[in-house]
Amino acid sequence: MTQAKEKEKQHATKVGVYICHCGGNISDHVDVEAVRRRLEKVPGVAVARTNMFMCSDPGQELIAEDLKNGVVDRVVVASCAPSLHETTFRNAIRRAGANPYIYEHANIREQVSWVHHGAAATEKAATLVEAAAAKAGLLRPLTPIRVTAARHATVIGGGVAGLSAARDLADRGIPVTLVEKSPCLGGQLARLDRIAPTGERAPELVRALADAVLNHPHITVFTDAQVIATDGYIGNFKLTVRQEVASEAFTGTEACYIPFSGMRPAGPSPSEPREFNLETGAIVVATGFRSYEPRQGEYGFGDFASVITLPTLIRKMAEQDTEGSFLEIDGRRIRSVAMIHCVGSRQIPGIHPEDASGRLNEYCSRTCCTATLNAACRIRETHPGTRVYELYRDIRTYGRGQEELYEQAARDGVVFLRFEPDQAPEVVRADPTDGYPLKIRVTDTLTFSENLEVPADLVVLSTGMEPNDVSDLVEMMKLPVGVDRFLLEVHPKLRPVEMPVGGIFVAGTCQAPFDVGETCNAAGAAAVKAASLLAEGHVELDPFVAEVDAERCKGSGACVEACLNPGALALVEMQIGGQTVRRAQVTPALCLGCGACVAVCPENAIDVCGMTLSQYEAMVDAIVADQVAADALR
Amino acid sequence: MTVPSQAKGNKILVLATESCAYPGADSVGQAHSTYPTNVYILRVKAPVLFPERFYLDCFRKGIAGIIVMSCGEECPYDGAYHALARRLDRVYQAMKAQGMDIRRLRLTAICTVCNRAFLNEVNQMNELVQKPAAGEPGQENG
Ligand SMILES: Cc1cc2nc3c(=O)[nH]c(=O)nc-3n(C[C@H](O)[C@H](O)[C@H](O)COP(=O)(O)OP(=O)(O)OC[C@H]3O[C@@H](n4cnc5c(N)ncnc54)[C@H](O)[C@@H]3O)c2cc1C
Ligand code: SF4
Repeated sequence: MTQAKEKEKQHATKVGVYICHCGGNISDHVDVEAVRRRLEKVPGVAVARTNMFMCSDPGQELIAEDLKNGVVDRVVVASCAPSLHETTFRNAIRRAGANPYIYEHANIREQVSWVHHGAAATEKAATLVEAAAAKAGLLRPLTPIRVTAARHATVIGGGVAGLSAARDLADRGIPVTLVEKSPCLGGQLARLDRIAPTGERAPELVRALADAVLNHPHITVFTDAQVIATDGYIGNFKLTVRQEVASEAFTGTEACYIPFSGMRPAGPSPSEPREFNLETGAIVVATGFRSYEPRQGEYGFGDFASVITLPTLIRKMAEQDTEGSFLEIDGRRIRSVAMIHCVGSRQIPGIHPEDASGRLNEYCSRTCCTATLNAACRIRETHPGTRVYELYRDIRTYGRGQEELYEQAARDGVVFLRFEPDQAPEVVRADPTDGYPLKIRVTDTLTFSENLEVPADLVVLSTGMEPNDVSDLVEMMKLPVGVDRFLLEVHPKLRPVEMPVGGIFVAGTCQAPFDVGETCNAAGAAAVKAASLLAEGHVELDPFVAEVDAERCKGSGACVEACLNPGALALVEMQIGGQTVRRAQVTPALCLGCGACVAVCPENAIDVCGMTLSQYEAMVDAIVADQVAADALR
Repeated sequence: MTVPSQAKGNKILVLATESCAYPGADSVGQAHSTYPTNVYILRVKAPVLFPERFYLDCFRKGIAGIIVMSCGEECPYDGAYHALARRLDRVYQAMKAQGMDIRRLRLTAICTVCNRAFLNEVNQMNELVQKPAAGEPGQENG
C-alpha cells in the first residue's frame, strides 16, 4: 500500500479510545480526562471515553456498545500492561461480533503512572495513546490461523503432579503419554510416610494414583525415560523420547510398590536404550523438586553422623515404625532431638553463603515447617520419652489443619526456641561429661536473647525444596525461569499454569514449593487447560505472521534468504496477469512472525500482519508530533 | 537522505522485545522505579524486523536516541540476534558517514527481571541526549 493510500485508510477508520482509571492506579498520576479531551481531537478518533475499570463488565460493555452501534471500528484501550488484559479486550471485541485484531493496547500504568508523576505523566500517557490510535487506524481485520491439533497430551514427570494431571486428562478422553525419568512413579511423595495435615499414608496415596494411571486405557507410561528433543508448536509438538534400560532391581512382570522409591510399572523394559518420536498437542511439565542438600559442615552436617536431614528422619522412622518410650535411630536411643528449621531456604545475602554457582535460595519452602511439626508430633506421640526441641525463625503453618499441628506440638511438650537469621544456632560436640554426643548453642529470642544450650542425640535439618535441574527442557522448549530457578508462569494470578509458549503448561513443585494438595490443584488446572485446548481438534493461532504483497513482490528472494525458520517462506511459481512468475509465499503455520524478512525486502513487499513497518512508523510520527508542531511555529 | 546530527528534541525510543525487554520494563513499573518521561517504549516481536532506514528515519524525524532492547542470546528466534547485530553495524556506518554520534543508537539485552539494567540504559541515554555531544556540531544540517 502506498503511503498516501495508508494515510487515507487511517482516516477512513473510526478509532474508539478507552482510557482506564484503574481505580486510581492510573488516574492518581495521569489526568485521564485531559488525555481523553486530547484524544477526542485526533483525526481518525471517533470517540474517547474513560472508565474506572476498563476490564470490568461495564468497561468492556462500553466497547461492545460502540462497536455494535457502528460508532467505532478500531479499538484502543489505554490501561495496564498488555500481558494482563490484551486478551481480555480482544475477547470482548470478538463477543461483540467484531474482529479481535482491530485492537491496539496502550500501556499507561506499568509504563506511565507507576513510573512518572505530575503533568509529564499525563503528557506522556496522551502521546502513547495517540501513537496507539495512529497504529489502530492502520490495523486490518485478520483471520486467525487454524491448525489441526493432535488429540494427545504428554506429561513430563511422574510425581503426584504428573500422575494426577495424566489421570485428569485421560478421564476427559485425551490419550496421554507420561514420561518419567526415574524407574518409578510417585516422585518425592513416595519418599514420605504419614503426611500432614491429615496423617494419611503417602505410599497408599501414591499406590492409588499410580494404579489409576497404569490401568487407564488412555495412558501410556514410560519410566527411565526423558524427552531429549522438541520441535513444533501448539497442537503439533514433535518430541523425541529416550528410554534407558531399567536396572534389574527395577524390573518385574508385575507392577509393584517399592518403599521409598515408588510404584514400578510392570515390565518389560527395553533390552537396550531406545529413542522414539511422539506427536502431541499439549505438554504438561511436572518435573518437581529435589530436597536441599546441606553443605559440608552446615549445622554440623557431614561432620557428625547424628546430624541428618528431615527426609532421612522420615525414612528412618518409617522403616523402624516401632513404639517404645524412646525413638531409636540406627540402633541408638534418642533421648533428645533438636530440629532446625529453614535449612537451605529463606537465605539472606550477606548472611548465608552462596552455593558453588553463586546462588541463594531466598524463598520459603513452605512445606517444611508443617512437615517438621508433623514429625515432632509423631515422635512425641509414639515415643513420649524422647524430648523434642524445634529451633525456628518463623513458624509458617499456612493452610487448613496446619496451624492445629503447631498447637498440638506445643501441647505435646515440644520446646520451641526462636533464633535470628544472623545468629544461627551452632551444632558442636558436647563435653564428655554432658552425657550427650552433641549440643546446640542458640540465642533464643523467646527468652529475651538468653544464650541456651540444647543437648541432643540427634539433630534434624528441615531442608527445603529446590527445583529439579531441567535446564535441558528449559533450553529446548524456551521455558522461562524465575530468579529462584523455578519455572515461571505467564501470570501468577490470572494465568497460573500456563507457560508463555502456547500449548505448554506447568504443574506442581517445578513451579514453586507446594504441598500435595496444592500440587494436585495445579495439576488439575493444567489438565483442564490442556484438555480444553485439545477438545476442538484444532487450535487457532494469532495471525501475526508474514504476508506478501504479490503486487509489489518482484521475486528477489531476499526474504527467503533472511527467513529464520526453514520452510516458512519460499519462492513459488504463480500466474500473475497471464504470466508465470516467481513470488515469495508464506506458510503461516511455520512463520514465527519475527519479521527478519521485512527488513530485507527491497520492494517493501512483505510485512508482518498486525505489526507492519508503516504501523510502527505511524507510532513514531505520533511520538514526535509535538516536536514537529513546535518546529513549524519557529 | 541526511539526518540532523543533533536531535530537535530529547525523545528516546525504546524498541523492546515482547518476550524479554517489554515485560522487563513492566517489571520496572511494578517496582515503581521512576525514570525519565522522555522514554517511549514500543513493543516489538523481534527488532530484526526494522530495516536500516527505519532507524535513520527516526533520527530524521527528531528522535534523539534509540535503545534496541533485545533478548540477546536468549532470543526466541534462532539467528535473529546476529542478523540484528549485523544490521545495526550498518546503521552505525551510515550514522558515522552523516557525522552523527553513534552513541545515540544502542543495542542491549534486557531480561524480564533486569530492572537495574533497564534503568541504567535509559538513564545513560537520557544523559547523552540532554547535552550536545562532544565533537558534534551544535546545529542541524538536515
Ligand atoms: C521433607 C518433606 C516433607 C513433606 N511433607 C509433606 C506433607 O506432610 N504434606 C504435604 O502435603 N506435602 C509434603 N511435602 C511436599 C510434597 O512432597 C510435594 O508437594 C509433592 O511431592 C510434589 O509433587 P510433584 O509431582 O510436584 O514433584 P515430585 O514429587 O518431585 O515429582 C517430579 C517427578 O518428575 C520426575 N522428573 C524430574 N525431571 C524429569 C525430566 N526431565 N523428565 C522426566 N521426569 C522428570 C522426577 O523423577 C519425579 O518423579 C513434603 C516435602 C518434603 C521435602
Ligand atoms: S516453611 Fe518454615 S522451615 Fe520451611 S522455609 Fe518456610 S519458614 Fe522455613
